[in-house]
Amino acid sequence: MNDPALLDELRKKIGQAERADERSWPVVGSGAADFDASLPEGGFATGALHEVLPATYADFPAALGFGLGMAARILDTRPGPMLWVLPAYQTASHGALHPDGLAAFGIDPDRLIHVSAPKTQTMLWALEEALANRAVSVVTGILPENDRFYDFTPSRRLVLGAARHGVTALVFATHPQAGGATAAMTRWSVAAEPGIAAPRAGQAVPGLTAPRWHVHLLRSRRGGRGQWHLEWNHETLSFRLAAPLADRTPQRSFGLHTGQRAAG
Amino acid sequence: MAFTQGNALPADATTPLVLSDMAESGARITAANGAAEALGLFAGMATTDARAMHPPLVVEAADAAGDRQALRRLAFWCQRYSPLVRMEAPDGLCLDIDGCAHLFGGEERLAEDLAGRLAGFGLTARLAVVPTIGAGWALARFGSEEITHVARGETGARLAPLPVAGLRLAEETVAGLKRLGLERIGLLIGKPRAPLVTRFGPLPVLRLDQALGSEDESFGPLCAPPFYQAACRFAEPIVTLDAVETTIGRLSGELTRVLDHAGKAARRVELALYRVDGWRETLAIRTSSLSRDADHLARLLGERLDRIRDHAGFGFETATLAAFDVEDADAVQHGLAMPGEDTQAGDIAPLIDRLANRFGPRNVVRFAPRASYVPERGFERVSMLDARPDRDWLAHMRARQNDAAFARPVLLFDTPEPVDVVVEMPDKPPARFQWRRVSHRITRAEGPERIAPEWWLRGNVSRQTRDYYRVEDETGRRFWLYRDGLYERTNDQPRWFIHGMFS
Repeated sequence: MNDPALLDELRKKIGQAERADERSWPVVGSGAADFDASLPEGGFATGALHEVLPATYADFPAALGFGLGMAARILDTRPGPMLWVLPAYQTASHGALHPDGLAAFGIDPDRLIHVSAPKTQTMLWALEEALANRAVSVVTGILPENDRFYDFTPSRRLVLGAARHGVTALVFATHPQAGGATAAMTRWSVAAEPGIAAPRAGQAVPGLTAPRWHVHLLRSRRGGRGQWHLEWNHETLSFRLAAPLADRTPQRSFGLHTGQRAAG
Repeated sequence: MAFTQGNALPADATTPLVLSDMAESGARITAANGAAEALGLFAGMATTDARAMHPPLVVEAADAAGDRQALRRLAFWCQRYSPLVRMEAPDGLCLDIDGCAHLFGGEERLAEDLAGRLAGFGLTARLAVVPTIGAGWALARFGSEEITHVARGETGARLAPLPVAGLRLAEETVAGLKRLGLERIGLLIGKPRAPLVTRFGPLPVLRLDQALGSEDESFGPLCAPPFYQAACRFAEPIVTLDAVETTIGRLSGELTRVLDHAGKAARRVELALYRVDGWRETLAIRTSSLSRDADHLARLLGERLDRIRDHAGFGFETATLAAFDVEDADAVQHGLAMPGEDTQAGDIAPLIDRLANRFGPRNVVRFAPRASYVPERGFERVSMLDARPDRDWLAHMRARQNDAAFARPVLLFDTPEPVDVVVEMPDKPPARFQWRRVSHRITRAEGPERIAPEWWLRGNVSRQTRDYYRVEDETGRRFWLYRDGLYERTNDQPRWFIHGMFS
């Protein structure tokens, strides 16, 4: 067991196996230069696995919005369909994907292929199959609520699959505590945030603004964490950084909101 | 042609046994075994009479549906002899063996082989190898031999001594013919036709002509025979899945060679495995685009093999692989790749096929727009294996949303869920709502957007007008609420629902 020659040989083999994902695929900008600059990758890496978690159970639509924004940016740079894989029973609790709603993200519903799998294992099989096809652009999976199956090994398989042909994998969780160890490039946590809108003339209640999320980068392969307040602009189909809401009491707000990126 | 007529034997052939079913005039015997027939019991006799004649008689309930199913199964199994098989319910099968008989060493050898196998299954069969369907029907039922052979040209002579019931006629017609003394088919041959047609309609004459072969009869097989098919027969029945897999590889290679040679490709491929004991197992796959790629087809079929894991029984003796939905192969699409573009130099079709094969075609879908303003009817899910609907999303979305791209939520509930709301004034967005036991205070809202359902739709469709509001609660979560019905209409009962969630 302690034979150094054998260990060297094994290391070499593992090194060869791991080099598969060292091939570099393009990085897609978010549209907000200052946000990109603060990301370790300088944007959203394609040919990689990204995980998006909701900050609380009710934030799943917000997490979906952030992920769809990311997918829209990537779909814009790479031709091919987007595969949307989820367990069949998921739609009852969270609703089904509404093709008309994709308009806000500039995603053509014709590019979407919707796959219902019976359980997590088969869903991951479908994701891996899709990653192995170079004609695909983005592969998306939604983990079921009570998932116990997705952990490091499945994520590592997805990472290797994604690196092979440059297909980007997005995995959404419906539960904030989902996911332990992971091999993913990034793991995000997203919370909804109230928009800032002035009351309109003649209306008691102000109208809706661009969707706004509080986004945490929980993990990143290249190191670095952070949190940002992001908005999605459905006219330019890009993210933009939103200034955080300030407490209007002068003393309390002093020095707290000058930088967007927290130390971490 | 060959005809079989079979009844299941009981475990002990010496016990008189009859099957009985309720008819209009009480219980009637539908089938009797050899021992019962020896006692003078016959199908069609009243069950009570039979019981009176022979008190220890065993009477079982007939199962017409089961009989039909068994006949159907047997018909499928008979496709190992010929692709053209039709059922002559309730008790017969008809095979078109033109051009197939030589594969089994001639018509006589085929009939002997079939008779031998049917006897092995425990079926009493009577076979007739004849030039017409009608003659076969008559000779299999009323002929004197176990296996009848009729050469071309002697049909009339062989049919002449048989009763007119052999002409596939209704009971009243047969009874009517008998009253006229026309008991044998021979008495009808060459007789003036006009009086027969006047009295009994055109059918007896037509059936006679069909039996004699002077009138055409369409065959109407159980399923359309494939034009392209590869088959192999095994010297020893195969049992293991490995052997089946090897066979699949061989057959798909053979089939794609045939297709390639003809310049065709298929959209549907069916593997049929014929078991030694009269069963047939099938595995069917569909592909999203025309295919004649042997490896791809073999792989798709291989993924299905689990379904027949324990179904081999005593083994499969014949396997066929048939291609359906065959089209000219010039139309095969080799992906959407732009020349010289590496990332896209792939074809999505194999992936679609594998996903559809594993999860079912209904679970691998694309969205297609539909001409309705009602959100849940505004789109449909179309299987990726079906043709792409020729409808334009861009125009659809522009029309639905008045260019307000965010006007529709990204998540939609298939069935809207009721919510409790607090509304301060009619025709204003609610101030609060409670959904799934969580209360939300609304801080921002837009609406109403009025959507009226199509008044021309029939059936169980709500005809209430809906007022949709896009609302945001204090935590920034956005919902799509609607009021079902209008306040000013007395027969509308406004209730509130949540229909979707914005991201």
